[in-house]
Order: sequence, then C-alpha cells, then structure tokens
Amino acid sequence: MSDHDDHHDDHHDDHHDDHHRENHDPRSPKLRAEALEDLLVEKGLLDRAKVDATIEKFETDVGPMIGAKLVARAWTDDDFRDQLIADADATIAAAGITGPEIEHLEVKANEPGVHNVVVCTLCSCYPWAVLGLPPNWFKSPEYRSRVVKEPRRVLSEMGLELDDDTLVRVWDSSSETRFLVLPERPSGTEGLSLEELAALVSRDSMIGVAKAYTP
Amino acid sequence: MNRRLHDLGGADGYGLVPHDPDEPAFHEHWERRVFGLLAPSLAGTAPGEFRHALERLSPVDYFDQGYYGRWLAGFELLLIEHGVLSSNEVDDRMPAGQDAGPVGRAAQAVGPDAAELPIDRPVLAAARRGVRRVLADPPIFRVGDSVTVAAPRTPGHTRVPQYIVEKQGVVAAIHPAEVLPDSTAHGLGERPQWVLAIAFEASELWGEDAEPGVTIHVDVYENYLIAIHSEPEQD
Repeated sequence: MSDHDDHHDDHHDDHHDDHHRENHDPRSPKLRAEALEDLLVEKGLLDRAKVDATIEKFETDVGPMIGAKLVARAWTDDDFRDQLIADADATIAAAGITGPEIEHLEVKANEPGVHNVVVCTLCSCYPWAVLGLPPNWFKSPEYRSRVVKEPRRVLSEMGLELDDDTLVRVWDSSSETRFLVLPERPSGTEGLSLEELAALVSRDSMIGVAKAYTP
Repeated sequence: MNRRLHDLGGADGYGLVPHDPDEPAFHEHWERRVFGLLAPSLAGTAPGEFRHALERLSPVDYFDQGYYGRWLAGFELLLIEHGVLSSNEVDDRMPAGQDAGPVGRAAQAVGPDAAELPIDRPVLAAARRGVRRVLADPPIFRVGDSVTVAAPRTPGHTRVPQYIVEKQGVVAAIHPAEVLPDSTAHGLGERPQWVLAIAFEASELWGEDAEPGVTIHVDVYENYLIAIHSEPEQD
C-alpha cells in the first residue's frame, strides 16, 4: 500500500476482502457509493429517508427469526408442518409473512437419512422474507462452486458431519423459487416453549449447513 | 459455450468457505447504503435485467468488493445505460484524474436472437403475481420423466447453469410458471414457462469425482428440457 491516509474506519478482518481499499482509491466502493447516492439525491431521484427506512427494516424487522418461528411451530404442530411442506406459499401467507424474494417458497424437511442444503450457483438467491439478507459466505464463490460438487466435504469443513448413508439433496436456486430447510427437531426438547424452540433454530440450520442447536 | 464468471457451480480452484455462523448482514456502512439505495430500485427493472448487468461486470468488479460491491457496480452500469447518469458523472466525483468506474470494464449487453427463444403465449392475467404466471396449457413433462437439458443459444442472460447442460435428470417437482428471464432481461417479452425441478445424480454431473448418495436439484425453465424416450436396447 502506497499511502498513509487518515481513514479511521478501516479495521482488518482476515475473512473479508472489503477492508483493504484506501479511502482515496478511485475504486473505493465507499467513495463510489457516496458519490452515487449524492448524485441521485441532487437529481431529485432519491429520498435518503427511504434508503434509511429500507436499511432499518432489514436490520431490525426481517431476519432468520421469522423462519425460526415457522420451524418451531412445525416441530410442535404436525398439521402445520404438513401444510408448510405441501404449500409453503399459502401457509406463510396465512401466518402473515409477506415480503421480497419469496415469490414461491418450498420447504424441504430434513429427516433421518435425508439432509437438504440450499445454494444459488448463478447468483445469491435467498428467501429474504423468511431468513433476512444472506450472509457473505453464502454468496462466496467458494460456497457457490463447491457445494453442488462436493457437499459432504463442504458441510464437513463447516462443522456438519453426515453419516455415509444419509442422502444429501442439494437445491440450486436457479429460478425464482426459494428454499427453506426444515431442520430436524433436536432430542431433549419435549418440554420447551415455542420461543425456546425457535432459539435453537439457527440461520445455518435453515440453509442446511448445520443442524439445529441442542439445548 | 464457455463458462462465464458468475456461473460458478462445479468450478474448480476454490478453497474453504469463509463461514461465520454469526455473520451480520452488513460488514461496512457503505454496504448498508448500497442495499438501501438499490433494493427499492430493483422493482423498477425487468426480471433478469439487473442480474445480467452483474454478469457483464469485469472480474475485478464482480468479485473484489463482494456482493454489495457488485451491486454498486451493476447499479451504476444500469443507470448509465438507461441514461439516468452520464458515463463520467460518478467518476468526476472521485479523486481527480481517474477514470476508474466499472462501466469502462463491463461487457456490452448482447441479447439473444428472439427467433431462438420460445414463443410468447397467453396467460391468465388475473393470476399474475410478480414473475409468476398461470398458463392455460399444462406442462409438457410430468414428475418422473427423464429429460436432458439443452444448451441455451443465447449469448445473454440465462438461468441454465453450465454444469447441467446436456446432462440427464428426472423431473422431481413442478413449480409455478414464470416469465422467462432469458427473454425479459433483454426486453424481448415475457415468454412464460413452467419451471421444473430436475434431480440429477451426482455421478451424472461429476463422473468419478462424485460423492456417493448425493442428488442435485436445479430449477429449469421448460423450454430448455428435452424428452428422453426409452428406446429398445440395441447392441
């Protein structure tokens, strides 16, 4: 790096490549994003309050807790589980869930001997309205390239060991259909409330790269 | 057809997934702003149009600044192509003497020949929702049918990943019909298609490299499916 600039928000993080650009770099995405936003505001094409509201919504109201509640309910109500698997669109609409990136949702249930995992190899398609915005690793070329070809190895590297006789079903989101994995209910959870069950349902378990937490 | 940079399924040369189970949606404040700027604007683009803008970026613009970096670059590209911004307006606000924007590095949009796309057809307009359409005609294929996947002839946007081209699979499920992004991305009409989940055995896709007990499901627009008719065995 050729300079010693006065940027103060640049903290290093080895997993992430967004931190290495300097603030005067003409390719700096921070500066370009600011320039673009300013231009659109000056042209009267953009209302910053709407930008703020969109960010606020996805940082606070929309996230994996929505999917986790669906999973917890499916664990405790067989009729709901059956409906969710048979017709997720109608079932989540009846539960009051609407929003972007769920034009058609399918729920894939893990069960003994079958494990489902979701990817989007061409882009980064993800069911925003039930899981929030996707994490970077889901959008990474490493995940997108490898999980269709060597899912057992990738899942093992990510901490999920599957038995050799467990079938792996990979779902590549190449159309506007979106997928949610219904993880298996952990043992020892019989007396738990819906809220306590939902807390066991991680984002990763609904993508299919982890199991639900065991209490 | 050559694999394009975004068409990553099965690409060799990638290592460990940069996994963090507690990763936040945004790492940097500018990513937040790009999302807030763009998410509402996407509703004003044709299905597939923004995806195709991302697919035309240079590798540096596609990969180096992650997902929101490519969103920013693709958005700037579309704003310029639609005439909302002139080609140097963002560059002019960047540190002096630079012409570093993504537009100069991006490929031109080249659409398919409309004659090679499936014909447009009527839909039940009352059933429209987003990209979904209800077609008067049922799907050609049924669950359980064996099919192969045709190579898209389009040089433009397509939802057929290269790793399934000319591979054999079985129809596993039928999704609602959708407009064909390969057409709408280029302003060539909706040409809606049934979308079918095709199940491929890993060994069909990856040969000897396949892991055992793995099935890969890919959603394919029906116009890209070719029936496999069972023929009498011959020597």
